[in-house]
Amino acid sequence: MTATQTPPVTPYRSSAVPAGRDGFAQLLRAEWTKLRTVRRWNLTLLGAVLVTVLISLFTASSSSVQLGGGDRPPAPTGPGGEQILDSFRYVHRNLPADGTVTVRIADFRTDTSVTPEWAKAGVLVKKSDAQGASYAAMMLTPEHGVRMQHDFVHDTSGGAASADEPRWLRLTRDGTNLTGYQSADGKEWTKVATAQVPGLTGTVQVGMFVASPTVTELDRQFGAASIGDRPTRSTATFDQVTVTGAQGGWQHTDIGEPPAGESGSSESGGTFTVTGSGDIAPATQHGDLAMMSLSGTQLGLVLIGALGVLFITAEYRRGMIRTTFAASPRRGRVLLAKAVVVGAVTFVAALVATVASFLIAQPILRSNGHKPPQFPEVSLTDGPVLRAVVGSAVLLALIAVLALGLGALLRHTAAAITTVVVLFVAPLILVTALPIGFAQFLQQVTPLAGFAIQETATRYDHVARMCLPEEGCYPQGPWLGIATLFLYAVAVLALAIWRVRRRDA
Amino acid sequence: MDSNDGTVQVRGLHKRFGPVTALDGLSFTVTPGQVTGFVGPNGAGKSTTMRIMLGLDGADDGEALIGGRRYHALRTPLHEVGAMLDAAAVHPSRRGRDHLLWLAHSHRIPVRRVDEVLELVGLASAARRRAGGYSLGMRQRLGIAGALLGDPPVLLFDEPVNGLDPEGIRWIRGFLRSLAREGRTVLVSSHLMSELEDSADHLVVIGRGRVIADTSVRELLAAASADRVALRTSARTEAMTVLATAGATVAATGRDTLTVSGPDAEKVVQLLSGAGVPFSEISAHRASLEEAYMELTGDALEFAAAPLDEADEEGVR
Repeated sequence: MTATQTPPVTPYRSSAVPAGRDGFAQLLRAEWTKLRTVRRWNLTLLGAVLVTVLISLFTASSSSVQLGGGDRPPAPTGPGGEQILDSFRYVHRNLPADGTVTVRIADFRTDTSVTPEWAKAGVLVKKSDAQGASYAAMMLTPEHGVRMQHDFVHDTSGGAASADEPRWLRLTRDGTNLTGYQSADGKEWTKVATAQVPGLTGTVQVGMFVASPTVTELDRQFGAASIGDRPTRSTATFDQVTVTGAQGGWQHTDIGEPPAGESGSSESGGTFTVTGSGDIAPATQHGDLAMMSLSGTQLGLVLIGALGVLFITAEYRRGMIRTTFAASPRRGRVLLAKAVVVGAVTFVAALVATVASFLIAQPILRSNGHKPPQFPEVSLTDGPVLRAVVGSAVLLALIAVLALGLGALLRHTAAAITTVVVLFVAPLILVTALPIGFAQFLQQVTPLAGFAIQETATRYDHVARMCLPEEGCYPQGPWLGIATLFLYAVAVLALAIWRVRRRDA
Repeated sequence: MDSNDGTVQVRGLHKRFGPVTALDGLSFTVTPGQVTGFVGPNGAGKSTTMRIMLGLDGADDGEALIGGRRYHALRTPLHEVGAMLDAAAVHPSRRGRDHLLWLAHSHRIPVRRVDEVLELVGLASAARRRAGGYSLGMRQRLGIAGALLGDPPVLLFDEPVNGLDPEGIRWIRGFLRSLAREGRTVLVSSHLMSELEDSADHLVVIGRGRVIADTSVRELLAAASADRVALRTSARTEAMTVLATAGATVAATGRDTLTVSGPDAEKVVQLLSGAGVPFSEISAHRASLEEAYMELTGDALEFAAAPLDEADEEGVR
């Protein structure tokens, strides 16, 4: 049997519709139309905004501040206005103009049982003996070798050196330029750095110092952590002390109040023994106010993730994906367009949510006691705060893209949403319960790392710091954290594109 | 678009789903200007073939070409091929018009064309209702509207008549014919030959992943009707004895009706008259398309006792 009936037809030519081009822009427009025309999804997005704001508000309302020791005087501030610690033992003379101090640290040990990694002994030029006065110093530390530091927040490494061996240190003043040198034998000197310290004008103090920071000890159990501060005390012996340009005799001063008590210093035949306690460093902040006002994102992510998942699994569930892939056979571009649309839309919604959360939560936090002088004044226009608020919106947008990729891989709504929850919410709870090492490992290698973007506290490498997951501290810092999540989102999306192009639709 | 002459060629398609062979060297050509019925029992491979035509499933071997090109080579597919695979493939929360709108946006098709096709399929009044509230017939119309959006020369419809009410069936038959009259290639699949009886000009019958027949409707009917005589008699047993003795094959089709193959009508009259068997009516048998189809597919049925629901390829994927 063969076909005999082949009518003499001219093939159909379309006249009504102009031929379009297959640009990416029209794919974006098609996907955007899909997203905006399902009312349930619009409500999900609105729900995500509301949940984020309400949870942040709730967290702020239930916060409270307990300050130990009653009415403590406000912490001193450094030349940059930041809160600082400034207490140590200082043996010093007046230095009206330029000059040099050279010492040999013959011996440096900690008297108390725990040695702080950032105990300091060395030479120091300071504007006055007042807390917070400008300074520059060359020092030896137990675990971080030789350092040159000035004005609390600046730190330069001067090379590795053992605190168990004698070490020569020198500090030269030339106007407001302070240059540090170090040497193992007092003959061959290495320049460490020159610091421009604007505060060191006119007559300043020059001499030797010892500081020994308080060590924080942690007792961490499931869901609860207690932090104990243990003051320490260290002693250094300085010999071969030479000072040029100095006037007057040696003065022995406790700068600030020694936390461990019993500081002291003595001179015997040109050899100085100095015992000190305390630290010269920026103060560690407890409680990140910006992060506290963004806590709602931890629940908002579930709805955002659900939206990302549904944007693709709803098509698989009803077979609509075939209509989509028949209209746009280049499936990778379809998935990419979906990612761009869902990423952009969730970013805008999340930005509304995080800005609103911050603005609403801040006054509540302040009225609950989170206010100066114990807590810094924070504003939306501060760099780190802006980073946290905008970064949180990026965080939620990346979660939406990651969820979309998971949805395309699993093709099943419930399975994909469960995976999102397991990936984010479970670690958020677990990190407060697991041993700190493992918790910090999770914070760094899971997509949870993205939440690091919410931290606003400035980190100083020259301050020993207890990084507690329950305080929202991420060991890797904000940028590396959000980059980790970004890589996860890109990797899952790439895997999804690879898979979708190969499988039958 | 210029090279699309509207023919759809299927060449040696092979497709396996795990242990099940869905397509086993399927080849046929669909030409423009007529409605081609694509018929076969459930599980014969109709939907799989259409998915391969649309580049949705990959063939293990062979190819399907639209106007000489593979689907993936089409840059603006909606202008080349319109397809409705599954009327249920719409998001229930989306309005009917919005469903067409995103499709239109993917090809820069102007919005007025959306309203045009809605009018064309008679869905304009329901265009702003959510698709979840549509009847099956309305969803079929929405699917057809989507296929027509790019005004393509080739149209593929998978089971478009399935589940429609008589009014809908009448409408769709007329609509398919009018599309073919415009010079388009129209391929319509069905597992029921009767659905295509009044609309198809040409038939591709498949079973177990192979082409069983590729023929015009007229030829198929003629072939199935050849050499048969329908007989009405009050003496059924006697008539059967007489005819069987003369070497004819006789089948009882009712209480007083018989179908005879072998001798022609004249010979049957001779035989019966000679033996004095009374009969009231004798005629050359006219096979229905359904009968012709049953004859063709009788030995190609995959699940002979399976009910006629969607036990299609879906089950084995």
